[in-house]
Amino acid sequence: MKTLLLTGLAITSIGLAGCTTSGIVAKGNPSGDPEYAKHLVIHNEALADKIIIQAMHTRTSKNGSLEVSLVLANLSSTDKSVQYRFSWYDADNFEVEQGGQAWTPALLHGKSSINMQALSPNSSATTYKLDVKELK
Amino acid sequence: MKKLNRFSLIATAIILSAGISGCANTKVGYGDAGAVETMTTDFGSTDLQMIAGKMVDSLLTFPPIVDITSKRRPVMFVDTIKNKTSEHIDTESVTDTISSKVLRSGKFRFVDMSKVAAVQKQLAYQNESGMVSQSSAMNMGRQVGAEYMMYGNLSSIVKRNGNSKDVYYKFTLKVMHVESGIVEWSDEKEIRKSSKKSLFGS
Repeated sequence: MKTLLLTGLAITSIGLAGCTTSGIVAKGNPSGDPEYAKHLVIHNEALADKIIIQAMHTRTSKNGSLEVSLVLANLSSTDKSVQYRFSWYDADNFEVEQGGQAWTPALLHGKSSINMQALSPNSSATTYKLDVKELK
Repeated sequence: MKKLNRFSLIATAIILSAGISGCANTKVGYGDAGAVETMTTDFGSTDLQMIAGKMVDSLLTFPPIVDITSKRRPVMFVDTIKNKTSEHIDTESVTDTISSKVLRSGKFRFVDMSKVAAVQKQLAYQNESGMVSQSSAMNMGRQVGAEYMMYGNLSSIVKRNGNSKDVYYKFTLKVMHVESGIVEWSDEKEIRKSSKKSLFGS
């Protein structure tokens, strides 16, 4: 009985610890290295093994805003509910429209990818960061 | 036996009281206003933020709009967004978020039609009351006319089957050139939300 209880507690604690740190972060800028993997920060190995960023493209539009196109792929065969958020930074590394960006939910079907596009809030943005984490 | 009974009664009372007092606690905390909210299938903060984000990105990246806004900042006004859903939704809040984002992008300027009466009153006070020095009074008849109008509607389709509920929202937004009546830009954002009541668990 005691062993069963201890095992249960151990499993629960592992589960809770896994929940708190799930997420991946990617950073990039248009003039930077196209090897976006260098800008990728992985918070959770389990999620990073299943969800990857396949491609990242950036351009500056005619009216000066920074546009980002990104392909997020799910390598596992099960559907994954994720949420992502773009943050934008100017040339001095100050956040543009600080705190104004909300998390967006997205459903990634098994063995498939989705294309995400975003536009900077104004023309002062030169760099961006992308956070992806599981949606519970 | 009697001793054991009394002991078990006290133990039960302690456990029960601990449980009850645990329930009575009210915890207040601050959450992330941008976090994804999945409480119910009703129109929520995440829907508002998704709609506003998508609409502003779409408007500002549409090639003819990029051409128009690359050299100047046209003036726009926001008309109402019709709520065609069966829910009570504050559509003004949706348009406020959209117009704030568009204004802060630096590509468009806005005139606020809800404040016309207040401005008129202030201008009349400055020019006609005799209380304000005419050297500092703002002149009448100098306002800039809006070139574009933003309007749209929000509709929904709700389906229920036993414990399952499926809600589909469609938000349509358009920008019309006031003088010519030509719709310069239009886009739709669709949101599908579903819920299923389970017998066990939360």
